[in-house]
Amino acid sequence: MQHTDNTPHSFKDEVMAEPGGELLQRCYSCGTCVSMCLVNQTCPDYNPRRTMRMVMLDMREETFRNPTIWHCSACDLCHPHCPQGIHISDLMRAIKNVALRAGYESPLPSAKVDEHKCSGCDICEKACPYGALSLAAKTIDGKERKISQVDRSLCMACGICAAACPLSAITVEDYSNEKVAAQIQAGHWLKKAKSGDPKVLVFNCSWNLRAEADRDAMSELPANVRVVNVPCSGRIDPTFVLTALQAGVARVLVAGCQPGECHYKQGTRIAQGRMHTLNHMFEQMGMDAQRVQFVQIGTEDRGRLPATILDLVAELKSSTVAVA
Amino acid sequence: MVDAARHPNITVKSYTEVKRVEGFIGNFKVLVEEKPRYVNMDRCNGCGACSPVCPIEIPNEFEEGIAPRKAIYIPHAQAVPLRYVIDEEACIHCYKCVDACGKLDAIDFSQQPRQEWLDVGSILVATGFDNFDPSVIKEYGFGRYANVITAMELERINNSAGPTAGRIMRPSDSKFPNKISFIQCVGSRDERYNLYCSGFCCMYTIKNAVQWKQTYPDADITIFYMDIRTPSKGYEEFYRRAREMGIRFIQGRPSIITEDPKTGNLFIQAEDVGLGRTIELESEMVILSTAAIPRVDTDAMGSVLNISRSPDGFFMEYHPKLRPVDSPTDGVFLCGAAQSPKDIPASVAQGSAAASRAARILNADEWEIEPIVAMVWEDRCISAQGKKCGICATKCPYGAILVETGKAAMVTAAKCHGCGGCVAECPHNAITQKHFTDAQVISQLHALLRHEPEKKVLAFMCHWCSYGGADNAGTSHFEYPASQRGLRVMCSARMDSDFIFEAFRLGAGVVLVSGCHPQDCHYITGQRVGAERFEKLTKRLVDMGISPQRFRVEWISAAEGAKYAQVIREMDQTLRQIDPQALKEEIERTRPELERRVRRLPEIPDVALALELAKATS
Ligand SMILES: Cc1cc2nc3c(=O)[nH]c(=O)nc-3n(C[C@H](O)[C@H](O)[C@H](O)COP(=O)(O)OP(=O)(O)OC[C@H]3O[C@@H](n4cnc5c(N)ncnc54)[C@H](O)[C@@H]3O)c2cc1C
Ligand code: SF4
Ligand code: SF4
Ligand code: SF4
Repeated sequence: MQHTDNTPHSFKDEVMAEPGGELLQRCYSCGTCVSMCLVNQTCPDYNPRRTMRMVMLDMREETFRNPTIWHCSACDLCHPHCPQGIHISDLMRAIKNVALRAGYESPLPSAKVDEHKCSGCDICEKACPYGALSLAAKTIDGKERKISQVDRSLCMACGICAAACPLSAITVEDYSNEKVAAQIQAGHWLKKAKSGDPKVLVFNCSWNLRAEADRDAMSELPANVRVVNVPCSGRIDPTFVLTALQAGVARVLVAGCQPGECHYKQGTRIAQGRMHTLNHMFEQMGMDAQRVQFVQIGTEDRGRLPATILDLVAELKSSTVAVA
Repeated sequence: MVDAARHPNITVKSYTEVKRVEGFIGNFKVLVEEKPRYVNMDRCNGCGACSPVCPIEIPNEFEEGIAPRKAIYIPHAQAVPLRYVIDEEACIHCYKCVDACGKLDAIDFSQQPRQEWLDVGSILVATGFDNFDPSVIKEYGFGRYANVITAMELERINNSAGPTAGRIMRPSDSKFPNKISFIQCVGSRDERYNLYCSGFCCMYTIKNAVQWKQTYPDADITIFYMDIRTPSKGYEEFYRRAREMGIRFIQGRPSIITEDPKTGNLFIQAEDVGLGRTIELESEMVILSTAAIPRVDTDAMGSVLNISRSPDGFFMEYHPKLRPVDSPTDGVFLCGAAQSPKDIPASVAQGSAAASRAARILNADEWEIEPIVAMVWEDRCISAQGKKCGICATKCPYGAILVETGKAAMVTAAKCHGCGGCVAECPHNAITQKHFTDAQVISQLHALLRHEPEKKVLAFMCHWCSYGGADNAGTSHFEYPASQRGLRVMCSARMDSDFIFEAFRLGAGVVLVSGCHPQDCHYITGQRVGAERFEKLTKRLVDMGISPQRFRVEWISAAEGAKYAQVIREMDQTLRQIDPQALKEEIERTRPELERRVRRLPEIPDVALALELAKATS
C-alpha cells in the first residue's frame, strides 16, 4: 500500500516551492498532456500526469526513478492544451531539479566531447537548445586550453551539437557519425535492389509521426527506399547527405517536425538552414538542387510523410534523373 | 410557448426589444421597441405562399446553418406567432412575395420600428445562454474537419423535423456514420475559456448516445469525459443504463483530433486514464459538447436592468443560497440558464419560483422596503448648485441614485438597500442614512470614548458579518479583553473616514474596522467600497503621524468568533506595548490636523446638537 504524507514540508511541498512547481495541485488528471506527448510511444512508462500524482502522493523515490522527468525535452506541445494552464515541462524540470539535488542522475545518454579534437571554437555552445555545453579551461596534453564541456543533467542527446561541430569532435551514443554512415550503407541495399529503381534515402526524425498508421507505413515502404531514424533532423550532418549521394542514392529526403513543434526546440530550424545551404551548393555545382529535400511534418499531417516518400519514388520512376 | 401565447393573462411581444427600464419594484416603466417584420400580423394567415417564390437563400440560424431559409420565413415550426417575417438585411426587394401574397395583401414594406412604454410591476429575466464556438480550440479541428460537429448540430440532424428529416448523415459525404465519438467539456472546465462546469452537457450527451444506440443497436459509440456529473433525480441510473447498453465511456480528455483526408474519418488521441495509456480511436463523426456561455448581450441587458454579472459572466443572484431567484434589484427576478447553465427541469423549477416571487408583488397593494435607506440633504448637494459630481451614484451597488447636474442627487428609496456607501463617500456630507445618521454614530463614538479613550480598542463592525463574529465569540466563550468598545453600522461601506478621524481626535488608543469577506458582502460590492477607502485611509493616517499599529482592517465572517476574539486580543496587546507617554504625545501632536479634518462635521444637520449634548454629559 502507498503511504502518503500530506503534512507541510512533504515532498509535494518541496516540488511546489521549486520554480515551475507552483501549479502542481491544479492538475485534475484529464490526461491531455499524456496523449499529446510523443515520448510515451517509445517509452510506455512515460506519463507526466501520473508523475504529478506520484508527487502529490509523496512517492519521492519512485518519482525520481520514473523515466518521465528525465525524458521530458520541454518541446511544450502539451502545455498550450492543458485546460488548467499547467506548464508541464516547467513542472517536470522542477521535479528533476529536486532529484538532482538528491543525488540522482539522468539515465539518458549524453553528448561526449573528444577533448583532443575540440578546438574550443564555441559553435556547439551556440547550437545547443538546452545550454548544456560551455567552454571551460582544461589542461590537455600538457597545455591549458578552453574546450567544450557537457552538463549531463541538461543534455537531452538530440545530437544537434554533433552535427554542428566542424571537427566532428562531439558524438552522441547510438547516433555517432560512424553508426549513421553504417546504416546508410548496411546490407548492400544500394547494390541489391532491382537495377533501374532509383534509390531513396530518408533521414527521419523520431518525433514527427503521431499516427500509428504512419509509423506502420514507414516500415512497409518499397525496397528501394531506406529509412534511417535519427533523434532530430538537427542531427543531420550535411556530410551524411553527401555520403549517401556518393554511394549512389538518387534522392535524400530529410524529414523533421513543423517549426514550433520540434522535440528539441530548434533542431528543425537548424536543419532547414543546413539543407537550404546544400540545395544552393548543388545548384552552383551544376547539380540538380533537389537531390536533397527537406520536409517538415506537423502534428496534424496524418499520412503526409509516407505519401511524400511514395510520390518521390513515383516521380523518380517516371523521369530520367541524373543519379551520379 | 404556444400555451403561453394562448393564456388570457399573457401577452407575447415577439420581435421586440427592451430598450430602457425606469422606476422601481411594483412601478417599473419599460420602453420596448417592436421591430418591423414587413408583414402585417392581422392579415397574414401563415399560408406560406410567399416563401417558395423568394429567390434568396441564406443559412437557417435555427438549423445551425445546416439548412437554408428564405428572406421571408418563419423562424421555426413552433414559432409564436406562426406568421412570416422578412429579413430586411437579406431581402433584395424584388417584391415577388407581394405578388404571391396577392389578395391577402399582408406584406407591408412601409412598416417602421414601433416604441411603447409599458407599466409593469416586476420583471423576469429568462434570456438563456449561448453556445461556445469550438473553432477556437484548434486541436479539435471544428470548422476544418467536416465531420467534427457540435452537439447542437447533432440535435438538429437527429430531429425528425430537422433539416435531414431525421435521417442521420455526416457532413462530408452524407453517409450514415456508425462509429461516433462524443467529447465532453469543450470550452468548459478549462481555464483558457470558461472555468465553470456547464452542468447539463453530461446528461444530454448520454441522452443522445442512448437514443442513437436504441435506434441503431450496432452503432459503436464512445464518450470521452473527465468526470460524468449526474447530480439530479434518476440521472445516475440513466448513466448506468447507457453503460449497460454498450456505450463506451473513456475517462480522458482528448488532446488532438486528426483527419484522414481520404476517408474523412477522424482519429482521436486521448489518454485512457484508467488504463494509463494513450489510445488512438478512429471515428466517422465526432460530436463536441460545447460549453454553455453567457449570451453576447449580457452586458447590454444588465445595464438596461441594472443587474450585475457573477465572475462566470452569467447574471448574479441576490444570494446564492437564500435568494437564488432574486436579482440584486428588487422586483427583477432571474431564471433558467440566464443565471447559470442549468437543464430543463432546473430551469422550469426556477422559472416557476421566479413567477411566484413576482406574483407576490403583483398581488400586493403595498410593499415593505428597508427602513434603513439613504436620504439626500438637497441643500448640501453640490449637484443642485450646478456642479458636476455624482460620486454617490458610482458607489451604489443597486443603481438607486440618480444624479443630474442642476438637480440634487435623488435616492429611490425602493431601490436602496441601506449599505451607506454613498453616505460615507459623499465629500460634501450631503447624504445621510436613516437610523444610522452621522449625528447618531458620532454620539455613540463620544459615549464609547468618554473615559480613558487612550486605553480603548474601538471596533467598527458591520451588521452582517463581523458583528455576528463578535456575537459568536460571546456565545462560544472566546474571551477577549474588556478594553474593546464596539460600534455597529450596516456595512463596512458606511464606515466614514470622518468617523475614524473623530475617534482618533477623541484619543482612541487603537481603532479596528471590520466587515465581511468580499464574497460574503450583504450588499454586493459594499465591502469593496469600504476596502478601497480603508486602503487610502491607512496611508493617510500614517502621513498624519499616527503609528501604523493603531489602525487595523480585518474581514471577519459571522462564523469567525475565534478570529474576532484573537484580533481584539492582539490589538489590546499592541496598545499595551505602546509607551503611554509616547501615545499621549502622539495624540496631542496629531490632534490639530485631525481637528482640521473634521471641522465641517458640525455643519451636518443634528451633528452640532449631538456634539453639544456629548459635551454637556461628559
Ligand atoms: C445541445 C443541447 C442539448 C440539450 N438537451 C437537453 C435535454 O435533453 N434535457 C434538458 O433538460 N436540457 C437540455 N439542454 C439544456 C437546455 O437547453 C436548457 O436547460 C434550456 O434551454 C434553458 O432554458 P432557458 O429558457 O433558461 O434558456 P433558453 O432556452 O436559452 O431560452 C432563452 C430565450 O430567450 C430569448 N432571448 C434572449 N435574450 C433576449 C432578449 N434580450 N429579449 C427577448 N428574448 C431574448 C432567446 O432567444 C431564447 O429563446 C440541452 C442543451 C444543449 C446545448
Ligand atoms: S493536461 Fe494539465 S490538467 Fe490534464 S493531466 Fe496534464 S497537467 Fe493535469
Ligand atoms: S546532444 Fe543536444 S542537448 Fe546534448 S549537448 Fe548536444 S546539442 Fe545540447
Ligand atoms: S456625492 Fe454628494 S454632492 Fe456629489 S452628487 Fe452625490 S450627494 Fe451630491
